[in-house]
Amino acid sequence: MSASQKHAWFNLVVISVSLVAVGCLYPILGWKAHGALGFSGLLGLGPFFYRKRKGEVVLDERGNLIQQRSALLGYSIFWVVYVLTASLLSPFVYGIDGSVPVVVVQFSVFYAMVLFISVGSLATLIQHSRG
Amino acid sequence: MAGDKRAKLTNRIRRFRFERNEMTQQQLASQVGVTRQTIIALEAGKYVPSLLLALRIARAFDVSVEDVFQLEEEE
Repeated sequence: MSASQKHAWFNLVVISVSLVAVGCLYPILGWKAHGALGFSGLLGLGPFFYRKRKGEVVLDERGNLIQQRSALLGYSIFWVVYVLTASLLSPFVYGIDGSVPVVVVQFSVFYAMVLFISVGSLATLIQHSRG
Repeated sequence: MAGDKRAKLTNRIRRFRFERNEMTQQQLASQVGVTRQTIIALEAGKYVPSLLLALRIARAFDVSVEDVFQLEEEE
């Protein structure tokens, strides 16, 4: 398994754990359960997968190409799903004179990141498995 | 018309590896500076290498690029 595959699996596991934690805590804590999204901060450890060991190639031209495509797909999906949905729904949910709760803005950033990284990681794994 | 032609890149990497004392995929990968997965993808014809990588692979076998890679054009 290459470094980028390990990184992609790591991202998916961290995101899954974060979302499961939110889901489990939500009945008890309500909106405060979203604090469990803080687990996704572990995603910042991803670059450690690319530590270079002696004589080992961790990322080559094909790996770079896969990562570029994955990031592009994640970015596209983010705009289509997240921005389009949010822009369409917000006038109806909050109205023209309504106010968006701070907590919605806060956690929407997390969910946008979760969407972007999840799609990118899945795309990385699929491209690697296809050869 | 030339623009209507579809091209496919084939290669003889596997053959050259076996002719070079059964060089392993990992040995070739280390020699040309890529991962073993990339050599696997190349041999399976699922990845088209950059010119730089193609030249490195040809150099590893001490042959020309055309000996390793062939362009097959179909109408």
